Amino acid sequence: MALKRMLENWSRLRQRDYYENEPYMWGMSIDLNKCIGCGACVTACYAENNLPVVGKDHCSRGHSMHWMRIERYWGEPHGDADIDIKESEYPERGAHYIPMMCQQCNHAPCEPVCPVAATYHSPDGLNTQVYNRCVGSRYCGNNCPYKVRYFNYFSFWKNLPHPLEMQLNPDLSVRDKGIMEKCTFCVQRIRDAKDKANDEGHPHSVKDGSFMTACQQSCPTEAIAFGNLKDADSKVAKLWEEHQVELNRHEQDKAEDIRGYRVLEELNVEPCVMYLDRVRDTQA
Amino acid sequence: MDTHTMKDIEWAKINKDVLNSLEKPRKTFWVVIGVCALLVLCGAAAEAYQYQEGLGVALMNRPHFWQLYISNFVFWIGMSHSGTLLSAILLLTKADWRKPIYRFAEAMTLFSILTAAIFPVIHLGRVWDMYWVLPYPNQRTIWPNFRSPLLWDAAAITTYATSSALFLYIGMIPDLAICRDNAKGWRKKLYTTLSLGWMGRAREWMAFRKTYVLLACFLVPLAVSVHSIVASDFAMSIMPDWHITSFPPYFVAGALYSGCAAIITLFVMLRYIFKFEAYMTTEILDKTAKLTFAIAMVWNYLNLTEYASIWYSNDMFEKEVLLEKFFGPYALVVWVMLFCATVAPFAMAFEKFRHNMWAMFWLSLVIQLGMWLERFQIVSPPLASNHEPWTWNVVWPGAVQLTLTLASFGWFTMLFLTFCKVFPSVSMYEVKEMVFHRRKASSRSEMDDLQKIKEDMIKTEEGLA
Amino acid sequence: MRRKKHLLFATFEDFDKARDVVSELKVLDLKEMVVENIELYSPIEHPEVEAILGEFHQPIQRFTFFGAITGAVCAFLLTAAAAQAMFTVQPQGGKAVIPLPMDIVIVYEGAILFGVLSTLAAFFIYSGMPRRLRKYYSQKVSEDQIGIEVQILPENKEKVRATLDKCGALEIREVIQ
Repeated sequence: MALKRMLENWSRLRQRDYYENEPYMWGMSIDLNKCIGCGACVTACYAENNLPVVGKDHCSRGHSMHWMRIERYWGEPHGDADIDIKESEYPERGAHYIPMMCQQCNHAPCEPVCPVAATYHSPDGLNTQVYNRCVGSRYCGNNCPYKVRYFNYFSFWKNLPHPLEMQLNPDLSVRDKGIMEKCTFCVQRIRDAKDKANDEGHPHSVKDGSFMTACQQSCPTEAIAFGNLKDADSKVAKLWEEHQVELNRHEQDKAEDIRGYRVLEELNVEPCVMYLDRVRDTQA
Repeated sequence: MDTHTMKDIEWAKINKDVLNSLEKPRKTFWVVIGVCALLVLCGAAAEAYQYQEGLGVALMNRPHFWQLYISNFVFWIGMSHSGTLLSAILLLTKADWRKPIYRFAEAMTLFSILTAAIFPVIHLGRVWDMYWVLPYPNQRTIWPNFRSPLLWDAAAITTYATSSALFLYIGMIPDLAICRDNAKGWRKKLYTTLSLGWMGRAREWMAFRKTYVLLACFLVPLAVSVHSIVASDFAMSIMPDWHITSFPPYFVAGALYSGCAAIITLFVMLRYIFKFEAYMTTEILDKTAKLTFAIAMVWNYLNLTEYASIWYSNDMFEKEVLLEKFFGPYALVVWVMLFCATVAPFAMAFEKFRHNMWAMFWLSLVIQLGMWLERFQIVSPPLASNHEPWTWNVVWPGAVQLTLTLASFGWFTMLFLTFCKVFPSVSMYEVKEMVFHRRKASSRSEMDDLQKIKEDMIKTEEGLA
Repeated sequence: MRRKKHLLFATFEDFDKARDVVSELKVLDLKEMVVENIELYSPIEHPEVEAILGEFHQPIQRFTFFGAITGAVCAFLLTAAAAQAMFTVQPQGGKAVIPLPMDIVIVYEGAILFGVLSTLAAFFIYSGMPRRLRKYYSQKVSEDQIGIEVQILPENKEKVRATLDKCGALEIREVIQ
């Protein structure tokens, strides 16, 4: 009996297209043309996921816990800028923003290196972090090419002034010192949506747009799209198709003028987040 | 000259000389032990503080998730390599100059593993849950992830610590019997228990020799595997300048290199403190120095290969890290390392230098400094300039990390000194063997000489006749 | 009732003398069957002792061999079982259930660990240790003298004693136990 179950498990788990038979593969698309770098997504993430606000000192020491961050780059990737960058510290055009969070890689480099298997891949394509299992070896953080894993260097929750503990989200835990954490694609909301779909009688199909991640919800320019890549009709799947980005292909053969790309694609980590390149008129 | 230096020592004198080193220690001994204990206490306090507050007090951050704890771990594991590995190789190749120096070298191995083993513990975010790394059946049906190089580390270090402790112990049994026969009081009890009733019977010697050689056969591949696995912690990652194929041999060479330097340091110190001039001869120092020089060249070669292959690959991330290493914020560390570990050892090319005890002593310290910095520059600079430019950050280890580093040196010294006062740091029975065989060899050559003279005389007589 | 053992324990200056004694005793034994057992105590190892006393049957390497194999198998079973147990709870999608490359590392270490431990066990078995010190054991043996223990029948005591004396025994102890 046990042997039979084991063999069944094996044949199911070992197949290459294991994820193909799963109903979900959560993915995201971020349009950098639309991103204005306002940081609303960052704030929303703090509120939704009980992220500690560490303060100026800790922040300058690199202990900040923003699962979602807005990276700023001032260089121009292509073409010559008319304005001499050297002359002023900030060129007139402003920075190039890129919101960065866990890319939920399907070949996540953080997963195999964890000694206690605290991080692993869920069947719906999420790169999961089990807080209670983590012992804090921090190998995953090193091995993450995006450096989007955040380690609790202190018990930050202790610094929460009195009434503020009431605004903590009850849907997920508050993390103590010594463990690693990162963006979960708002897994609590995914769970909630799945449960609702179950209750409504369509267990394996969460309707597209029936829920949003916190960052997506708060983005004023709607730069972020999130959804199920397996659902061909979902907004995010259409965007991926339109911008010719595909999973399981580490070199995207794109036509000219197609903006879709995944960050550090050449490392073959299979991220589930697609970015749409910012288009700028460098001559203007 | 070789065969004549040690053949005239009386066996009883060997016993007396070595057992003298176990006599009541001088005042300086207690002072040194006291200083070391103080360092260890400081380390314990730092660890308690870090335990209480969280790892942030060590000033690590993102992206510097690893720092001195890991580089110290690599340093101590590396230092542990020479003792057992060299002892085993020299045993298998029947190089008899190993005999006066292998005991303390193996002790050094054991204690540096014990020092190294502390660092992963200190390093963990949740030390109190460390046992989750062990594969034991539990009601959560969760097992450790054997894919992780950290688990390979755990397996390798357990095996290595066990095997080298046993190798040291087995090799010490005949000497413990000597101690037992000459000791009084608590020492007598200790040695009687530890020597297991060794009487030097022929069957004991036969079984002993077989076991010892078999253990040596295991220890050579084991030691090589241990540091290769430590190298895998880095090489198996996808970080630029960590993900390097030549890391395992590079680490093994580096380990042997720093370990040999440590052997020389302790060699000169023990020789001076215990007056072991008759056993720890210039001839042995010369051979050890030659070996160190050879290993230094291997290490240098692999180091240059690493730079060259990165340069040649033209991978943009790796090249960036390499340039940052040489000209970035950690440049000083890299250049000092290159001076200490690449330039300085060339002094050993000169015989006069090799034969100068104190020159070798200081050189070995310089080499060790270089190798310590090498471990730091393996860990930190690639983290400082990783794939993600927005997170680039330079962090120097803070007071907590430095205190714990110093404490580790105190801990090692304390253990090692205690060992030297409780157990014979020179192998008496093997030195006797060395003396015995050299005496035999020289008497044989004397006999040959006599034979020759005799033949000559006969020939002349015949000629005369 | 156990028959009492009669022993003579003599110490000699060096190994060559001890070797002469043993061969004398052997000659004597051939003629008159006086010696029951000879044991040699030495402060250092003399590989040639087997030629005099006869070969010791000590198949330690067999323990080593089978220990190492057991270790390898156990280590493989452990990793395989752990990987399989984890796979059902934590699917890794398309990757091998039992990943061999990392198993090789663990198997390697397991083989060495078990090999070392079983070698040690064999050492204890074949060296007869741990044991109590014999009462007539001379501390000189751990220093620079060779000890020879001859088990005899009481009636042959004088003959053997004479032989030992003749070959230059430094000290002879008579033991009955």
